[in-house]
Amino acid sequence: MVRSSLDQVALELSSIKKSFGGVHALQDVTFTINKGEVVGLLGDNGAGKSTLVKCISGVYAPDSGEIKVNGKAVVIRSPEDARAAGIETVFQDLAMIPEFNIVQNLFLNREIKHKNPILRWLGWLDTKAMTKRARKALNRLNTRIPSYNEQIHNLSGGQRQAIAIARAVNWGADIVIMDEPTAALGVEQSAQVNDLIKVISSQGVAVLLISHNMQHVVETCDRAVVLYQGSSVADVAVAEVTKEDLVGLITGAKKIAA
Amino acid sequence: MTLSRNLQSCNNYNFISKSITFAFTLLVTSFAAPLLAVDFNSITNADKSENIKLSQQQVDSLKSKKLTAALVWHGSSAWVNAVSQGAKETFSRFGIKVVAVTDAQFDPAKQVADLENISVLNPDIILSLSVDSTSTKNSYRNAISNGAKLVLLSNPIEGFIHHQDYVGIVTDDMFGMGKAAAQLTMEALKQSGKLGIIYHDAKYFITNNRDHAFRQALKSAPNIEIIIEKGFVKESETSNIAAAMVLQNPEIEAIYVSWDSAAEGVIEALRSLDRPDIKVITHDLGVNNLLDMATNRNLYGTIADRPYDIGATMAKLGAAAILGQRAAPVTIVPFDKVTKTNITSAWQQAFKKPLPKLLTQALQQ
Amino acid sequence: MNAQMLSLNQLKQIALHREAFIYYIFFFVLFFFAIVLHDTAFLTFSNFMNIVKQTAPLTIMAVGLTFALAVGHIDLSIGSVVALSALVGALLLQHTGIPLAVLGALLVGVTVGLINGLLIERLQVSSLLITLGTMGIITGIARQLTNLESVPIINQDFTFLFGSGKVLGMPILLLWTLVIGGCAYIILKKLAAGRHLLAVGGNPVAARAMGIKVTRIRLYALIASSTAAALAGLLYAGRLHGARYTLGEADLLTVIAAVAIGGTSLFGGRACIVGAILGTWLMGIINNGLILSGFSTNEQMIARGVILVIAVAIGVKEIRNG
Ligand SMILES: Nc1ncnc2c1ncn2[C@@H]1O[C@H](COP(=O)(O)OP(=O)(O)O)[C@@H](O)[C@H]1O
Ligand SMILES: [Mg+2]
Repeated sequence: MVRSSLDQVALELSSIKKSFGGVHALQDVTFTINKGEVVGLLGDNGAGKSTLVKCISGVYAPDSGEIKVNGKAVVIRSPEDARAAGIETVFQDLAMIPEFNIVQNLFLNREIKHKNPILRWLGWLDTKAMTKRARKALNRLNTRIPSYNEQIHNLSGGQRQAIAIARAVNWGADIVIMDEPTAALGVEQSAQVNDLIKVISSQGVAVLLISHNMQHVVETCDRAVVLYQGSSVADVAVAEVTKEDLVGLITGAKKIAA
Repeated sequence: MTLSRNLQSCNNYNFISKSITFAFTLLVTSFAAPLLAVDFNSITNADKSENIKLSQQQVDSLKSKKLTAALVWHGSSAWVNAVSQGAKETFSRFGIKVVAVTDAQFDPAKQVADLENISVLNPDIILSLSVDSTSTKNSYRNAISNGAKLVLLSNPIEGFIHHQDYVGIVTDDMFGMGKAAAQLTMEALKQSGKLGIIYHDAKYFITNNRDHAFRQALKSAPNIEIIIEKGFVKESETSNIAAAMVLQNPEIEAIYVSWDSAAEGVIEALRSLDRPDIKVITHDLGVNNLLDMATNRNLYGTIADRPYDIGATMAKLGAAAILGQRAAPVTIVPFDKVTKTNITSAWQQAFKKPLPKLLTQALQQ
Repeated sequence: MNAQMLSLNQLKQIALHREAFIYYIFFFVLFFFAIVLHDTAFLTFSNFMNIVKQTAPLTIMAVGLTFALAVGHIDLSIGSVVALSALVGALLLQHTGIPLAVLGALLVGVTVGLINGLLIERLQVSSLLITLGTMGIITGIARQLTNLESVPIINQDFTFLFGSGKVLGMPILLLWTLVIGGCAYIILKKLAAGRHLLAVGGNPVAARAMGIKVTRIRLYALIASSTAAALAGLLYAGRLHGARYTLGEADLLTVIAAVAIGGTSLFGGRACIVGAILGTWLMGIINNGLILSGFSTNEQMIARGVILVIAVAIGVKEIRNG
């Protein structure tokens, strides 16, 4: 199921460069993601995947290049800039507070405040409203959660991943970036996360998925972009290539004009 | 009450050295606000503890009353324990039950809390040493508001009126102690010789008075020459001071130092200089220095007060006050001149306990 | 039926909660003394008011320390801040009125917190080392300030407000405890600020990733901790009609123990204000009960340790058994 180029572009990266001292982590990265599309970002260790994710999510500022969201050029200097532009990141460590429950984590730093203006000014939390919205958000993703009062560290890895994804989508993100979402998960839980990714892309969210797992990429992604020594060297429709092709591109044994 | 007891006790209980200096400086400051201490006149006019006696009839009447008492101390040490012991045993002879003992750890806030805590027990008699007269005053007032009789140790309380607010103050005869130390020095030097003085160089009522009385009394021995005087603030300084003193004045024959645990440093310095000929005179009883004395080394003699008797006297005054008897503003408790010959009896006198085994053995050798 | 099941479940959850620990200990000790001391005045209103009054400065310090611990910092300087703020307040009272004196004293707290926080963040050194250092510095300053002399306070309005006053028959020190404790409870449990505080303590990397200003929040927490200590200094000064450089010195360990027993994690992320207050009251009760029981001071020390260990053991067992 490859979407046509007529689809609306959600994220457009052109000639992104980033170096650390003498290390050219990103030399020239150019690709696009359409709305509702899942794009796999592939590459060997040290190819620059994490650096790219950090450039998009505002952890690093790129040295040069342009980032467009929904056709508009944006400047991303901080995680808040990225969020304001509609880009949410599900970090590898999930960025959860272990002692907090699900609702508290879902609404971390975006708490719903009380309706009363004075209490609101004080930052009084509207726990009821948050619980309600949490339920909705998780239902939307078909995620079953034992109890909303459960502390995060009592949940399984798959459940935590679901919460992290729900948190990203909950904020009306147009683009969700996921760094190795199934790396620490078993087969069954990986499958659940794959389903989740499908659900959110079907809701129009553009997903950039970083993964080492070829099987995972083949199952969930529409397209794959391959980074090789800091440059985007291939941009292929997953349906049109084999796993072996992808591996060849990653290792640099095979070349396709991007 | 003697300063050295508190300091020495800290050693005994293995407190960190910081808390020693802490307690010390605190004591220094708590008495630094002067004017509020027992003065020379009140001591010379004071009643003597041996005059405080209760008749059998009075004791019987006390026994029928089922009285209670609380001991509100400033700190804890072997010396304070001996005071408590004297008070408890005396009270028990009158059928008075000691319902609480507290230790303020030299902290006025803690003493205020202690006074509040014991107040709910409504004791009939309170024996206490105030850590800080200003900040604890209100709590004392509350504690006696139900009619409790307050007997004080050493320190008066600002604004408190004798008879109305408290029964009286029991204290050492610090002037007599200084004078007795001078007499010991004269004995040690056989009326003539060269003396060094290591005195307490801080505003502290008790040691200042003792040191002063010591100097005054020495004037009656014209052939004893004070060739050098040095002050110290912390006990830990005395060792270096003594060493320097002896190196500069090798002809020195005796050294007076303000109290026992400060004298430990002096004796240590004399040992390392290998000068067993120099005699040391001080105040209070400490096991280490008594061992030195028992083995005929540097310590010639010391002046010891009687903590057990202090406690006993306080208890008697409190009990007598219940029966309407009026005490003098100040009652003094005698002291003992201690040299090698009477270590055993002096220890017995002070603590009402047998001499520690170690000392007994040393004396037998 | 279903609803009942749910509430039973919830009850069980509450009972199993780490924060419930202090309740077991607290009531165990209370019960213990109530039985042992049934023939004394232990179980009287005025005795409990005494305990509350005595521990008021400690509770305020404990509440403040809870904020520092919530973000994962320890603040060892609080004891020294108590002394310095009390002295500054008492000295200012000799020249100005209550408002300026109180302001000056609290400013001591704010400044120390700010310095602690900035040093920790700038140097990236553990709060333990930095606050150990500032503790020494402040203690030195407090000793220097009046050359070890104590400073009396004769202003009766001040001693009313911060010490012996009563409002509607309630000791003003209890009022201070309740007001400060209440505010802290609301901040930590009900406001976004408290949520962020705990998030920073629970997982600073995640908190930063979610856009929380971690450095700033840590700074606020340390300021809260030392400002609370400064207020405790004023309460001591009010209660004792004066200030002295030794105030607060002995309180640090008691406060840390009280807060820890109260369910606050010493490593950040979990904080319990009610527990901190009950913890300090517990210390007060043990102290009071042992004095009323007529033990000698050495025996009291031993008994205090034994009671704490037994209480903790029982609390742990209750939690495990559910
Ligand atoms: N903060 C940094 N400082 C210096 N070099 C870095 C930094 N981050 C990444 N690099 C370098 O940039 C290159 C790309 O790294 P990275 O983006 O982590 O690759 P990947 O995630 O694809 O394994 C590597 O050579 C790495 O060593
Ligand atoms: Mg990586």
